[in-house]
Amino acid sequence: MEKNELRGQLKTLIIESLNLQGMTPDMIADETPLFGEGMGLDSVDALELAVAIEKKFGIRIADEAAAREAFASIASLSAFVEHRLGQEQARSE
Amino acid sequence: MTDRPRVVVTGIGAVSAWGWTSGDLQRGLRTGQSAISELTLFDSSAQRTHLAAQVPPPPDTRPDSIAASRHLSRADRFAVAAASEAFAQADLSPSMNPVGVFFGGSTGGMWECEEYVARLLGVRAGRPGIAWLASQQINCPGDAVARQLRLTGPTLTISSACASGTLAVGAALDAIRRGEIDVAIAGGSDALCVLTYSGFNALRSVDPEPCRPFRADRVGLSLGEGAGVLVLETLRSAQSRGAKPLAELLGWGASCDAHHMTAPHPEGEGAARAIAAALSDAELQPDEIGFVNAHGTGTPLNDISECKALHRVFGPRASGIPITANKASVGHQLGCSGAVEAVATVLALVQREVQPTAGSGEVDGEIDLDVVLEHPRSIPPGSIGVSVSFAFGGACAAVIVADWTIGARS
Amino acid sequence: MSHDAAVITGVGAVTAAGCGIARLAEVLATSQVIRTEVDRSAGYHRAGSARTAVTARHVDTSEWLSPLAGRRMSVGSRYAVSAARMAVESAAVEPDTLSRASITTGTAYGAAEVTEKLLRQILLDGPEAASPALFTESVANAPAAQVAILMGVKGPNVTITQRQASPLLALAEGAAMVTTGRAPVGLVGAVDELNPLLHSVLDRFGALVRPDQDGCEVARPFDAHRRGLLAGDGAAFLVLEDGTAARRRGAEILCRVVTCGRGFDPDAPRAGWGRDPSALAETLSRHLHAAGITAEQIDLIVASGCGSPSADRIEALVLKSVFKDHPLPPLLAPKSVTGDHGGGFLAASVLAACGSPFGATPGFDEPDPELGVVPHQGGELPAPRLTLITSFAAGGSVAWAVLERPEE
Repeated sequence: MEKNELRGQLKTLIIESLNLQGMTPDMIADETPLFGEGMGLDSVDALELAVAIEKKFGIRIADEAAAREAFASIASLSAFVEHRLGQEQARSE
Repeated sequence: MTDRPRVVVTGIGAVSAWGWTSGDLQRGLRTGQSAISELTLFDSSAQRTHLAAQVPPPPDTRPDSIAASRHLSRADRFAVAAASEAFAQADLSPSMNPVGVFFGGSTGGMWECEEYVARLLGVRAGRPGIAWLASQQINCPGDAVARQLRLTGPTLTISSACASGTLAVGAALDAIRRGEIDVAIAGGSDALCVLTYSGFNALRSVDPEPCRPFRADRVGLSLGEGAGVLVLETLRSAQSRGAKPLAELLGWGASCDAHHMTAPHPEGEGAARAIAAALSDAELQPDEIGFVNAHGTGTPLNDISECKALHRVFGPRASGIPITANKASVGHQLGCSGAVEAVATVLALVQREVQPTAGSGEVDGEIDLDVVLEHPRSIPPGSIGVSVSFAFGGACAAVIVADWTIGARS
Repeated sequence: MSHDAAVITGVGAVTAAGCGIARLAEVLATSQVIRTEVDRSAGYHRAGSARTAVTARHVDTSEWLSPLAGRRMSVGSRYAVSAARMAVESAAVEPDTLSRASITTGTAYGAAEVTEKLLRQILLDGPEAASPALFTESVANAPAAQVAILMGVKGPNVTITQRQASPLLALAEGAAMVTTGRAPVGLVGAVDELNPLLHSVLDRFGALVRPDQDGCEVARPFDAHRRGLLAGDGAAFLVLEDGTAARRRGAEILCRVVTCGRGFDPDAPRAGWGRDPSALAETLSRHLHAAGITAEQIDLIVASGCGSPSADRIEALVLKSVFKDHPLPPLLAPKSVTGDHGGGFLAASVLAACGSPFGATPGFDEPDPELGVVPHQGGELPAPRLTLITSFAAGGSVAWAVLERPEE
């Protein structure tokens, strides 16, 4: 999947799964911190997002530390998903 | 406030993974072992974790008692068993009416309700008969107690998550002090269910092993179930009928973190205020507290914020006050945990020993508390303990219980 | 340290009539029952079942709670936060006092919709599909917790789940917080959220009034032909404070909480009402006597009467017994307008105690000869000084309160 398309999908996923009413994908910059300062999402949002990502991409986030790093921003999340999807693909080939 | 009647505990009852009586609870807690083992109530293979402190089948398997309880949910049965034990120990009867029932709970008959919904959604075979729902409501266990014991006083159930049981004890205490009633049943009941088990796992709050409150390698809580009941009574009422007090309730306090739906305030701010409010209500100085029955769930966040709360209230002395976490033994019994822990606090006073915290492993170096480990710790006559509970949504509650020895407190 | 009686200085409500106590007062004065069709698409409802409810689901609360701030909240929490904000604003509670306030809420069915959603996720897609955010809202105290978090309210926080008695039990506990000095102010709320599953279950238990041959669904409190209640939802919040403190700060005092009483009928079945009124009547009589109130002094009754054959029956017989030698004063049955559950009953009770006008009781045509109770038929009500409010919960718990209108 093309990088911008994936980032767009992730932004939509965040808005929908976290019920960020009134937000549109173009309001979320790729490098904006998602948690704490920045978008201000919290630990429950992180868990919710993990469930949504598993449902959409089939990627399981078992490791808390990996999750924190991956969820830092849209850019890091996109790289994480891309990497894991690539691994899945390699495994099935 | 000094013209309030004194309120004593004249009976206790409990159901836990150790068994169906308060005696079973005490025997189990004393051992320092954990009753957390494999969950068998439902299939946990699709869950992240597989353990619980599940209540064993009732010892009484006579056909007539099975028939009598067939319409009750598990939570109802735990409640009625614990209340009946306490009622009998206190030698009460409906002639004492109006007797109030102040209960705490969070799930009621949810496990039975899940059977209904599973059938309704076609996930399980069978008709979705509404009999599964007859005891679904959170107030059903408390009502079942009032109905079983033929009580006519104020009857209500508090559902403020993990603080429910302690809040119920507090509400009962205040109702008696106001003169609304002389006698009350105070307690709570909760039963395991798929919803709660899945939910706590969704929050990744559950330890795949038996929980280890205050230990360095703790990772989460363990779920449990059961019921705890105390009979509260004015001292005058107890004395006039020759009932023997087991302990005295000196006061309670409550507050709210107003911080986050699941995470406690990092500095234990609300918890500290609840304990301070309890001390103020009991007209005690912090120095007079001899031991603590902790909330101690075993989650990384709770235990450290609880430690900070205790230091805020007790100052440097907090490092030396014996503290025990019953949840290491009987799991987190949710809405009734505060009630069972109040019973355990009474037991500690009666036996003159604080029960050990189950499990093994070093205590967290960041947690500067005197955690009672491995063996019971003796406490002197006239001791006063505080039992604390902190809930989802930030509700905090604390109740102070004192040794009853004639003349110990005047 | 003794404290003065608690007084009510503010009210907020989210009901089918909209946001605010004025909207509710309007529909009560004009006897307007705002019913909405309940969504049947999930297939829970049987043919011939109840179809409507008096729900606040369609009400826009964004003025009081932005959608973004309420994004993770259940419907019940959104109702509660909105109503609490209205109440606090109307009472002009100062921020420092508010931070030390207690919150006591009552809910009949807790987080019904959230629970359904979670169960569907878990049962249909497995435990891994359980939403963490939904789980945090599935506790009955979520609305009380959200009010605390959003409004910085750090005093005692207690939620009572006792079916139809929940609002008045919350009032009793909230008033006690204030009169015993545990909090300078008590926020007292009643909240419920209605979803199709709960609606269908209430219907399966035969609690709801079903459409007649003309398709009409009307709750008929105390009527000879009553056949069930109308479900409702929404929230109401009251601000309670110490009377002396309220007068000192120049707050408008709506009414005083003279006394609250509670009891239980051990003969009531688990999900129903008992048949014999004598024990409950004795309890209520004793409470009134202890509060120094005689039957003749009650100017107005706000009854829980909802159209349920057995609930209305026991309430009527208890009231008749307590008032034995005297005709009943004017009696209101606001659940005919507000539906059962949610905050409508609590808010309507306060309105009644403050002398708000009420229209004729919708649905009431013919007195039940066994009960002999005729709820308000319209026209002017004499301004009450003392109002008795009664609630009888399925399962046997009962709670009542007497409110007093301040002298002009």
